[in-house]
Parts: sequence; C-alpha cells; structure tokens
Amino acid sequence: MFHNSSRGLFTLLLMLLEWTRPGLPSPLRPICDLRVLKHFIEEARDAQAAMLTCKEGCGLPEPVTVPQTKVDFSVWERKNALEQAHEVQSGLWLLNQAIGSLRASVTNTALHSHIDNSLINIFRIGKVLRSLNIQECTPPAGEVSRGEETWRVSSASELLQVHVNFLRGKLQLLLSNAPVCH
Amino acid sequence: MTNDNLNKLLVFCVLFCAQKTSIVHGAQALETKVALLLHAEPEIPKCFAEGMSDLTCFWEEDEERTGSADQYSFIYTYQNENSSECAVTALPAAGGKRLYFCRLSQTQLFVPLDIRVFRDDLLIHNRSLFIELVFLLDPPANLTLTSTGTQGQLKASWLPPSLKYMGDSMMYEVSYAMAGSHIGKVEEVQASSELILRGLQSGTKYKVRIRVKLDGVSYSGYWSAWTDPVLMETMPGDLDPLIVSLSLIISLVLTLLSLIVLMSHRRFLLKKIWPIIPTPESKFQGLFKVYGGDFQEWLGHSTGGLWLRPAYFYSEEFPAPLEVLSEVSLGPALPSSALPPKASEALGEEEDEDKKLKRVDSALMEGWRETPQEHWPMDQLRAIHQHPAPWTQSSLLESHDAYVTLNAQNHSGEEPLDDILEETLPLQVLFASGRTSSESRSDLGSFQQSSGSGCLSSQSSFEYPNHTWPPKGPGYTYMAVADSGVSMDYSPMSSNKIDDIGKGVIYTNEYKNEIPAHRRPIGTPIHFAF
Repeated sequence: MFHNSSRGLFTLLLMLLEWTRPGLPSPLRPICDLRVLKHFIEEARDAQAAMLTCKEGCGLPEPVTVPQTKVDFSVWERKNALEQAHEVQSGLWLLNQAIGSLRASVTNTALHSHIDNSLINIFRIGKVLRSLNIQECTPPAGEVSRGEETWRVSSASELLQVHVNFLRGKLQLLLSNAPVCH
Repeated sequence: MTNDNLNKLLVFCVLFCAQKTSIVHGAQALETKVALLLHAEPEIPKCFAEGMSDLTCFWEEDEERTGSADQYSFIYTYQNENSSECAVTALPAAGGKRLYFCRLSQTQLFVPLDIRVFRDDLLIHNRSLFIELVFLLDPPANLTLTSTGTQGQLKASWLPPSLKYMGDSMMYEVSYAMAGSHIGKVEEVQASSELILRGLQSGTKYKVRIRVKLDGVSYSGYWSAWTDPVLMETMPGDLDPLIVSLSLIISLVLTLLSLIVLMSHRRFLLKKIWPIIPTPESKFQGLFKVYGGDFQEWLGHSTGGLWLRPAYFYSEEFPAPLEVLSEVSLGPALPSSALPPKASEALGEEEDEDKKLKRVDSALMEGWRETPQEHWPMDQLRAIHQHPAPWTQSSLLESHDAYVTLNAQNHSGEEPLDDILEETLPLQVLFASGRTSSESRSDLGSFQQSSGSGCLSSQSSFEYPNHTWPPKGPGYTYMAVADSGVSMDYSPMSSNKIDDIGKGVIYTNEYKNEIPAHRRPIGTPIHFAF
C-alpha cells in the first residue's frame, strides 16, 4: 500500500514537472555580432534591387500594411527598452505578412528566391531577438493598422524598400543596444 | 562691490573668448566641410549630417545669379509627412560666389527626405536622400602616438567621434609616412580606437594622421577631413646579438684563412715584394769570402771550377757520328776477322734500338753473312797499295790531303751518346793540308753511332805522312770528297775489291755536312775513305 501511494506520488510529480516545463528549449547563446544583421540587410538590398528591374508579374494585388521606418532619436530615446522591442517585433510581424502576400502574387520566378530569402531572414531575425531575450510581440488581431507606427504601400518595390529601411533603422538600433551584449 | 563687478567682467570675458574660439573653430570646420563636399558630392543641394539629429544643406550660386537669401525657399518633405520649410542663410564664398545654407536641427533617419529649393518660386534644385547616408563627421580627436616597446612599431590611438549608436559602424583610415616623405601607407581599421603600425624603420620619425567614415551598412557618408599630422620617432635599432656574434665569427674565420694563405705563400710574396738581389757568390765559390772579390787571385787558386761544366762551353760542338753506308765483306778472314762477328753480335744486340741504323746494320749483316769464313784480304789490300794504279784514289793519296777511315769497332762497353742524333750532327772532321797531326787528331772525334752499336773510328791521312796508308782492309768502300769551300764534290764510291761490289750493297745517303767556317780554311778538299 505504501508502495502504491509512492508510485502515485511519483507519477504526480512527473506530471507536474512535465506541465511546468518551460516553453522555450535550452536558452540560446546571445548573438551580439552585428555582422549577422549586416548580412540580412545586404540580402534585403539585393531583393530590392532585383525588384526595381522587374517589369511584369511583380505587383501587389492590394495594398499591404507595413511598419514605419523613420527614427527620430530624440523620440526613440524617450521610449524604454520594452516599447522599443515591441515596436520592432510588431514591425517584423507586419513585414512578414506583407512579404508573404507578395510571394503569393509574384509570378516572376527570378524574384522568388529573393522573396523567399527575405522571409527566411525575418525568421532568423526572430531567433536573434530571442537569443537577446527580446520577447516576441504579436499585435492583437484587431489592431491591424496603427496610424503612428504603420502605413500602407501598394507597390512591391516600396514594400521591399520599407523592409530594408526597417532592418537598417529600428532593428539595428535595438540590436546594438541590447543590454545582454553590453 | 568693485571686486564682484570685476569678477563678473572677468567671467564674461572668458566665456566670450571661449565662445569666440569655438565659433572660429566651428567656422573653420564648416569651411573645410564645405570644401570637401563641393569636391565629393555631385548633387545639389549638398547636404551632410554631423550628428544624430542635424542636417546641413547648401548650394552655391554664381555672382550674376546671386541674390539675397530671402529669394530662396528650402522645402523638405519626409515620406508620408507634410512638407516643411527651412530658413536660408547666405555666406560669401571664394571667387565672388555665394553659399546658401539651410540647417535642420531635428531630423528623421531611415526614411526618404525630399528637398526642393526655390528661387522666387522657381524650382532650381531637387533632391531625395536618406539623412543617415550623408554623414560627414568631424575628424577623430586626440590622435596620439606611443611606442609599443618593439622595434619598428608605433601605436596610434584616438578618440572616436561621440555619436551614439554609431560606434560600431565607424571606419578609420590611418595614413603614416616618414617625416619629409610624400610616399606613405594607409591602413584601415573598423570600430576601433587604436592601431599598431608595423614594419616601420628604426630610429625614424614618422608622421601619422587619421580620418573617419561610416561603414555604409546602416549609416554611410563621406570621409572626414584628415587630422593634423602627429610626429613620433621610432625606437632606435638595436644590434641583434645573434647577428653581431655571427658577423664576428665570420670575420675571424676570414682573417684566419687569409693568414694561412699568406703564410703558405710567404716566400713567393717576399720575393715579389722584397726581391733578393742576385749575387754571383754561388757560382764563384770563395771569390768574395776568401779573396775579397779579387778575380785574378781567385782564378789562380781555383781548381777548375770553370771546367765543372764543359757542356756549357761546348754546347754547340757535339761529336757527330757518320753513317756507315756500306761495308763490303772481302775474302779470307783477317786477324781482325774476329771483329765482324763481334761487331755483328754487337749490332745484332742493338739492332732493334735505332730504326735509322737498321739499313746500315742490315747492310753490314748481309755483308758478313755472305762470307763469314772469309778472311779479309789484307794481303790483297797491301798488293793494291803497292800498285796504286787500279786504285782510283791513289792520286788523291799523293797529296797532303787527309783521309779518314772509319772502322767498325766493338765498343759495346761504351756508353752510347743517346742524345746525339745521327743525321743532325755535323761532320767534325775538318782539316787542312799542312796542319799538324796533333791538331788533326784533336779535330777528330770518334764517330759513334747513336745507338752504340759500334764505334766508327776515323783516321786521318795526316797520321800517315809518308803515304803509308795502312789499308784497313779491302772490305771498305772508299769515297772521295772534295771540298772547295763553296761546294763539296763526292767521287763515286769504289772499293779495293771492285769485283765484290756487286755482292755488297752500296748505299748512298744524303747526309748533312755542316762545316763550321772558322775551322776550315777555304779551298781545302776533304777526302773521306771508307
């Protein structure tokens, strides 16, 4: 009987541990080397340059929401780390959505590799942010466009331009000032 | 009260001066940047950002077009925003031109900016740019050079421009050259505030300067102006102990080698440098030491030292052999018959020595083989002698001329004169009528064949003044030679045994007669008898 109760206790303990297991796997090593970001920026620039040469089959079916890329340092510095992280993460999410819809509409096969690369890089940026303990931040479904932080673009080249500017600006600021790296 | 006023006045003056200095400095910096951009940027208006939140744009106008600043409007528009206007200021420029400036104090980066310049509502310039891509920074400050402690190295350190968020994006270019030289090297370094210059010459003064630029990934711009050059001398070169020791060892080895060579050739060198004055003492033993140089006395007491080397005096006069051309063997053996076998033996022994004598030897051998048992008819010769008529040379004998007979004698014991070649030796028998026999004898040498196969002795007719020419034997061939002093006539050879001429072989050979002129009076015939 005592063995039965110990077994039950042991099973309960295991279930509790399984349930309270952290959502994340083993913590990632922080990626502080900005050359990684440099690589992402250069590939985004390549995609933008390729899109500029496209004449046909490279349009957006409908305008997409993209984040604002402008950075006013006086304004930026007034924001705290969390707000900055949120701004970057939501912007990345929006870009992911927009470039995803572009991928579906572009028929020019030469651009497909560039667009796929951009999407993969956005995914990798998410991993880098996670390594720096910057939490993901998905905007609520209802808030599709926020006037201050977003705007709409209707051309693919504009979209990719925004993509480049966002990586160069806000994302770079966030990564270069990550507290984990200093 | 007065002190307070004075203090205030003093503070005011200091601040004013500082501000003035900074203004002057700022004006100079602006002037430099303007000059840089006029050279580097093709677009108009030319814009540059110095910090994180500013933008300065300017354009140049010629004198004829120039007007007041009020005529110009500078309109700028960020993406997705409304336009704004910037106040235009004017500054005089070189060459009568004018510069119009517009400065923004609050900017937005990473977003396109549209700029439009109007003059009297006329659009004259239009440009779209990203502010973060037109940075023109101030040169790095506090450039210092220090020694690293290693030869040929200098460490350059500087203070990066104080721009937040951009420290990792800065790129520096360090230029260094020897003081006074225009040829220098350039090194780039990224996101650092120091650089070690390597490969420099020791004990040399170097001038170093630096400039900065953003790397172009997130931020970009133009190269800043160079800093003022900083001079520093590198460490003096030390002599590497290894090199010093090696060079010492090498020099030592070379010195030893040269000494060895000198010592091994010291005699030769002494002879060349300090040649010995030759003295004749070695040749004249005792001349100087004993007789004090008195040659006459030394001569009187010398014991033939002069004759030690007779060859020195008689080098040109060698006894020359005569070639025996033929010898005819005659009848019964004579007392001297023992001679031919012996001679033949001697000849046979040494037959193989000299090729030239083979002819002679074979002739001799033939003659003797034919009649080995015959005696030489001395009696026949005497008979002939008594009847000189058949003897063709009897007329010759009547004269006082000399005759030479050549005997083949067994001189096997004698040493041959190896160094005497047969045909090159002159005939030594030269004599004139009326000479004394002793003279003629002295003139006569013994003719010897070079191989030593036998000696041919000669006899002159002077020895037999009474015409008692002892016939040596009828086996001899006679030939008369008449020397007129101009030419020599040879009579045909004849033998006292004319019948046997056919059996024998009479050879005629040309032989040289080099008769020294001083030994022979002109006109004397020479007769040779064989």
